[in-house]
Amino acid sequence: MRVTNGARIIAGTALLALGLAACGGESSTGGAAAGQPVRMELGEPQKLFYPGDTTESEGAEVLGAVFAPLVSYDENKQVVNDVAESIKTTDNKVWTIKLKPGYSWQDDAGTPLTAQNYVDAWNYAANQDNAQGANGFFSRVEGWADLNPGEGKTVSTKEMKGLKAVDDTTFKVTLTKPFSQFKTMLGYTAFYPLPKAAFGDDGKITDAYAKQPVGQGYFKMDAPYNKGTSQTIDLTRYDKFPGEKPKFDKLQFKLYTSAETAFNDLRAGNLDIHDSLPPSAVASAKAELGERYIDQADAGVGYIGFPLQYNKIYSDIRIREAISMAIDRKTIADMVFSGTRAPADDFINPLLDGYRQGACAVCTYDPAKAKAQYAAANGPKTLELGYNSDGPHKEWIEAVANNLRANLDVQVSVKPFEKFAAILDELDAKTYSGMFRMGWAIDYPSAENYLTPVFSTVAIKTGSNYAGWSNKEFDGLLAKGDAAATQKDGLKFYQQADDILIKDLPYIPVYFYRINAAFSQHVKGVKINLLNQVEWAQVEKVA
Amino acid sequence: MSRYIIRRLIQAIPVLLGATLLIYAIVFALPGDPIAALAGEKRMDPNIVAILREQYHLNDPFLVQYWYYLVGLFRGDFGTTFAGIPVTDIMAGKFQVTINLALMALVMEAIIGVGLGLYAALRHGKAQDSLVLASTLVLISVPTLVTGFVLQLLLGVKLGVDFFPVAGVAEGWRSYLLPGFVLAGVSIAYLTRLTRTSLVETLRADYIRTAVAKGLPRRRVVGRHALRNALIPLITYLGADLGTLMGGAVITETIFNLPGIGQQLFSSVYLREQSVVVGIVTVLVLIYILANLVVDLLYAVLDPRIRYE
Repeated sequence: MRVTNGARIIAGTALLALGLAACGGESSTGGAAAGQPVRMELGEPQKLFYPGDTTESEGAEVLGAVFAPLVSYDENKQVVNDVAESIKTTDNKVWTIKLKPGYSWQDDAGTPLTAQNYVDAWNYAANQDNAQGANGFFSRVEGWADLNPGEGKTVSTKEMKGLKAVDDTTFKVTLTKPFSQFKTMLGYTAFYPLPKAAFGDDGKITDAYAKQPVGQGYFKMDAPYNKGTSQTIDLTRYDKFPGEKPKFDKLQFKLYTSAETAFNDLRAGNLDIHDSLPPSAVASAKAELGERYIDQADAGVGYIGFPLQYNKIYSDIRIREAISMAIDRKTIADMVFSGTRAPADDFINPLLDGYRQGACAVCTYDPAKAKAQYAAANGPKTLELGYNSDGPHKEWIEAVANNLRANLDVQVSVKPFEKFAAILDELDAKTYSGMFRMGWAIDYPSAENYLTPVFSTVAIKTGSNYAGWSNKEFDGLLAKGDAAATQKDGLKFYQQADDILIKDLPYIPVYFYRINAAFSQHVKGVKINLLNQVEWAQVEKVA
Repeated sequence: MSRYIIRRLIQAIPVLLGATLLIYAIVFALPGDPIAALAGEKRMDPNIVAILREQYHLNDPFLVQYWYYLVGLFRGDFGTTFAGIPVTDIMAGKFQVTINLALMALVMEAIIGVGLGLYAALRHGKAQDSLVLASTLVLISVPTLVTGFVLQLLLGVKLGVDFFPVAGVAEGWRSYLLPGFVLAGVSIAYLTRLTRTSLVETLRADYIRTAVAKGLPRRRVVGRHALRNALIPLITYLGADLGTLMGGAVITETIFNLPGIGQQLFSSVYLREQSVVVGIVTVLVLIYILANLVVDLLYAVLDPRIRYE
């Protein structure tokens, strides 16, 4: 009989352990005690960190805490100087940037920030030999072409002609053509400076620097980030920072691969800020968190595009308009996306200056008119709609297909692609002839950024103009906007360009993205800015 | 004995070569440009894409690329990701996590599975036996995804049990308890049933009757005579399962946010990172081969009639 007892003990202990632990509940949830950092959710960054090569949002979030930008954006969506004391131009072509005094690098000596640090960083990022992801951002600077002669050709210089440090705190940027929105761009990650110490003897950025970048912003990284092993990125407030400092002293980015898991961690009290709630969590987050749930506009736009360049079946504008009117954007935003998207009614996102509510009249759901117009234009009897199945697109694409089937009386086949790159490959090769899903997230908060990179003629080759749509008048208006005396004047032309888009519909806007974020009871004052980054100076810990 | 082991290890070489070639070819055949995938949904500067493609030999034909990879491998260089990070760095950290997780799961399988099986076998035909059988059936039929989320929500969020961290590996071995159990779940159930059946059968064998008739205490009959023989199929199962646990941890690792090899494999396939995928698979194949070797050697320990020469 002793054997049986033994067996019972073995089998029982494991279950008992589970049971006992379960009974011990409600004891204490992991709280943010006095010494606890503010903990923020982050996806695993793809690369190591340095300004010119960090083009993805996760790395940018970290750099945003370590570096201070030249400009930032205020509550009224306007550009305001941050590290820059003044940014002056008379012709929108030559820009003189003067730095505020007092900024220093987070090294032991507190080396002062100089204008040359910007010149070095930008020249490095713009050089094709360094193959930096953000290289294209410097293409408007005079001399960029010398650093980018093309594949297989050698770069003869290391400096752009249009970039000169005048003295320790002033530098001058000359563009090839006037660009009224240039100032707006300067808040982007690619335009951060680099300290002298970042470069090795070979002139390249060292691995050590990329693992633990030394910045001139709010926080200093405590330890190198080792991709593969590091599960957190810990930072400490940099007390020599001259601007408005954060009100707490420790920040920790926690790496997650699943947004659902991160949300559970937040509910369990092990995470303080989560800025990318999945749709599945949104319903419960609203009810459970109340004021600690944030729902605000995000600058992205989702479209459906037409391959106008090589497929003639969509060439009649009445057909494109009818398709647009047949889509019930509101229901899709509310039901399919549980309110994590908003119905689109312009090509410019409401988050920015330049958006006009209801600008796109044919973006309003009007099934009767759509059907009549489609029939009048003798639209094709079968349509194809492609999307990438590696993102959350299947449901809304199916919903759109159903709208078209029901309202236009056509057959619609839905074609999934394994990944977004596969659609783009086929569009480049002109082998896919159906409609396709497309999206755009801004690089810098200017209405111009919704137009030039996606719809201009040059963007067919170098940008995201997969429709292959080209319109001289549109290009001309963009150029006028770029050359305008002020940003406000520029906006007028951009809106006129936007009108042409709405008239011509190379893509149809379907939804605007939204940010769905949440924070724990251990913090308050969480605000997310136009660049989707948390405003660290506003966050406070709750005792 | 040592000759047997060496022979087995030499046999592993063609297996490894074949596996790497196969995986490399599969990842190569995936659609989309891996460099473009680096830029997410945006188009990278075409000039920079061209330069990066050149740098990573992506313009060369498949066999040339594979040759570059193999040459590197023989020098002990697993290559780098397309973001320039050495694959060995990535693997080192991730494998540690997955090995911890797999071992935790294996220990749980062995203790709970064999324990419950033993319990049921000794009460063969009684109510407790049926109860064990029914509960293992439930465990088998509920997918890992469900057990994972339910346990996480129940223990971590609703009850707030600090003993089981909701996610991450910051709490040391405790971090692996819950994910280990979830990962082991289905295997525990199989192992319980396997143990029960195997033991019930063995207990009916003639030599057991002899042992009982000799008047040996029951503990000795079950422990030394029956269990030892019944263990052979169990060891086979556990050995094969180690490989499955290492490779099949994607879901568990994602739910509990463990930065392990499963997650890495998933994201690397997605990004078409040949060198990472092949590197991981190579190590996984090695682990599988070694685990099977250990299993084979254990047979000889359990049953001295089995000899390797």
